[in-house]
Amino acid sequence: MSKFEYANIEREMEVYGYDSVVKSHCRMCHGGCGVLVYTKNGKAEKIAGDPDCPINHGTLCSKGLASAQLAYHPDRLTHPVKRSGSRGCGRWKRISWDEALDTIAERLLHYKDAFGAESVVFGYGTGRENEAVIYRFANLFGTPNVLTAGHFCYGPRIATSILTCGTNPIADYENHPRCIMVWGNNVVISNPDCYKGEPFSTALDGGAKLIAIDPRLTRIAARADVWLPLRPGTDAALALGMLHVIIEEGLYDKDFVENHVHGWEPFVRRVEEYPLDKVEEITWVPAQKIRDAARLFATTKPAVIQWGVAIEQQVNCADNDRLLMFLMGITGNIDVPGGQVLFKPPGIRNVGHFGAHRMLPDTQREKRLGGDRFRLAGQFAIINPKCVWDAILEEKPYPVKTLFFISSNPLITRGNAAEVYRALEKVEFMVVSDFFMTPTAEMADIVLPAATWLEMDYIGDFWKRHGYILPRRKVIQVGECRSDHEMLNELGHRVGQGEHWWDNFEQALDWILEPMGITWQDFKKMDYIRGDLLYQKYETRGFSTPTRKFEIYSTVLESMGYDPLPQYREPPESPYSMPELYRKFPYILITGRRLPGFFHTENRQVPWLRELHRDPVVEIHPDTAMKEGIQEGDWVTIESPRGRVRQRAKFFAGMDPRIVSAEHGWWFPEKEDLGHGWDESNINMLTDNAYKACDPAMGATHVRTLLCRIYPEDRS
Amino acid sequence: MKERAIDPSYALIIDHESCWGCKACEVACKQENRSPDGIKLIHVTEDGPRMVGDKPEFVYRVNTCRHCDEPECVEACPEEAIVKREDGIVILDEKACVGCGLCVDECPYDAISFDSERGMAQKCNLCYERVDNGLLPACADNVCLAHCIYFGSPDEIERVMKEKKVSRCA
Repeated sequence: MSKFEYANIEREMEVYGYDSVVKSHCRMCHGGCGVLVYTKNGKAEKIAGDPDCPINHGTLCSKGLASAQLAYHPDRLTHPVKRSGSRGCGRWKRISWDEALDTIAERLLHYKDAFGAESVVFGYGTGRENEAVIYRFANLFGTPNVLTAGHFCYGPRIATSILTCGTNPIADYENHPRCIMVWGNNVVISNPDCYKGEPFSTALDGGAKLIAIDPRLTRIAARADVWLPLRPGTDAALALGMLHVIIEEGLYDKDFVENHVHGWEPFVRRVEEYPLDKVEEITWVPAQKIRDAARLFATTKPAVIQWGVAIEQQVNCADNDRLLMFLMGITGNIDVPGGQVLFKPPGIRNVGHFGAHRMLPDTQREKRLGGDRFRLAGQFAIINPKCVWDAILEEKPYPVKTLFFISSNPLITRGNAAEVYRALEKVEFMVVSDFFMTPTAEMADIVLPAATWLEMDYIGDFWKRHGYILPRRKVIQVGECRSDHEMLNELGHRVGQGEHWWDNFEQALDWILEPMGITWQDFKKMDYIRGDLLYQKYETRGFSTPTRKFEIYSTVLESMGYDPLPQYREPPESPYSMPELYRKFPYILITGRRLPGFFHTENRQVPWLRELHRDPVVEIHPDTAMKEGIQEGDWVTIESPRGRVRQRAKFFAGMDPRIVSAEHGWWFPEKEDLGHGWDESNINMLTDNAYKACDPAMGATHVRTLLCRIYPEDRS
Repeated sequence: MKERAIDPSYALIIDHESCWGCKACEVACKQENRSPDGIKLIHVTEDGPRMVGDKPEFVYRVNTCRHCDEPECVEACPEEAIVKREDGIVILDEKACVGCGLCVDECPYDAISFDSERGMAQKCNLCYERVDNGLLPACADNVCLAHCIYFGSPDEIERVMKEKKVSRCA
């Protein structure tokens, strides 16, 4: 392991004259790192990583470092407002929290009474660790409809891992994996979910072999022993090809397969349908390279797969996740030190329990939007966004009248943004809770000022699968901002759910921690709690699945009427699935590569972060640029069958010239107009959200690959 | 071998092989030095991608003041606003800078910026006030998730980087 030069906290305090330093837990992204917040005169003055935190070992990304600049931003919403004028008119009136919550409660109850609780849809984005409290409110209110990113982000990993092996297998960097296969992930930029770039990086410096699966030459790919630049969207075929090699060459863990796998024989027959010459044709990756990568991965122990969201925002979402788990499983890397561990959380009341899923009456659960179409998603309380837009626009299968978005900007983040806009325009009542007046918030009736992580007490990483919980301690108060947890606790009392809520939210934290015999005040004094560390638990207990085995053949998917074995589906809009269209739109557009400083649509108003990356940038191969008459730095038009957007061209030779790579999440807080340029560079103006283009089980919208043309802006 | 005029006690060395381009160092520097928008005292740029033989190459380069042994900026400055200290740190005194811009032109590493709003040159002073108080420069204070920015005695850093290289290729 590297030696870390630890921050000198005492000296830092003396030299700068800080009043205090508070250990807390960052939440500027979907991950969470231990942080130190230095304060002076009641203000957060400096943010640093916490060297004692086992997650990030004192390092911290650009987003975390800029947290105070976000918290004290002059444009921050600091009190509730209500719209005074027509929808989207941009005129707002300051109101008190009491008026805001009373109005919201009255409206929610009105729509519940008139159209049923299901006419009220709650939503969150990647979340401020408010997932559990939002589900709790919705379930108690009686609506089965919570619109999250879960259909195509993290939710699929949770759902498919529960199906396969009981919980999400997490890369155990702490115990020195000797081989890391990074699959469609840029962990060093995004620090996603249960993983951080720091332990990954340290494992590589310790000599781990590296395999990169990515259409683009990232720095990770450049450092890799083997880089497989696959045709975008063909991950499932590539994984099947690798499995083919591993089975054919007998490189799998025979003991694990014999004793712990369900469905081996039919699985082998399925894999036989994907010989390497066929896989090469589908993926554009030479067969020999696939073989090399498969051999390296299967024969270097322990090995891990660093995976993430890119493989989930595809029509093959659930099968992509499952196939990568099968690679982990049959090579004997599941639940072993340095492999992919099924960590046990500390013994607290868990997210599912707090989320009160059992309190939702069956009669309401049956009404979950899209529940009959995307049945795996429905089982996990996840809905596909188009189902909500259709229910608003066409009132099918029933009308949705209210949207309540908490830390969500669906106008930018969900597929087919033009349709999202029409739905937001039409919905009768909309509440948004956020830090800033986003393009989505501009469409609301009431906007609530949400607290950042610096402004709340919470049990950090409560929902995660890496086995830790860490205290997030409130450091500052900004205006009248409130945490989503406190806000919903208050609102719960006002809609008649009082018996299920608390006098204040600290009591809720006590309730979560109660099974461990501690209170929030006790936990606040601790650095973290880790669940019991046990490996190969399946040896004695089996896996937490219906067959107690590692289910390569999913009995659950079979019972839902899906193919129990994984398969490859050609992307809905590709050179092969739509050859006619490909003639007019001759490039494969990939979307959403990760950028330092931004978290989806967030942080474009934070100066230190926007300075890292001023404009939306589309990467284009120099040969392609020459062909299309595009100069480096030009604003160009990217056009799909659904629309056009503008981004700035940057030459990038590290990908196939047939690929164009655009950024996601763009809007322009600095633009004065009410939409803040929501449709100018927003890549979801181009994406498709048709049901047939979504993963049949999870309802994941296929937003990552489509066909486009690209040309200089002045040439239409 | 030419004898050094000054024996540097400190060096800031970046292991480019490890850098991921995450730019945490840029923001850590901003938080400490509050340099104006557009002025970066440490700056991460891309080098590549390109094919070298049949191997694709793509690295990040972190650019900042090298605190040269014989700094051309010190020579160039007519106001003596830039000085090299005994410990090797080259400091640009903003108050003494008249904004002639000669140092910007002379720097062979393109590591000096010009703040046209305030009419003065700006560069990394290696957080000398932190260093003088026993603290590490902001960018080197264990922010980097790749642990690729080192500050301290040059020989010691060389040794650590060599060890890391060996373990990386083990």
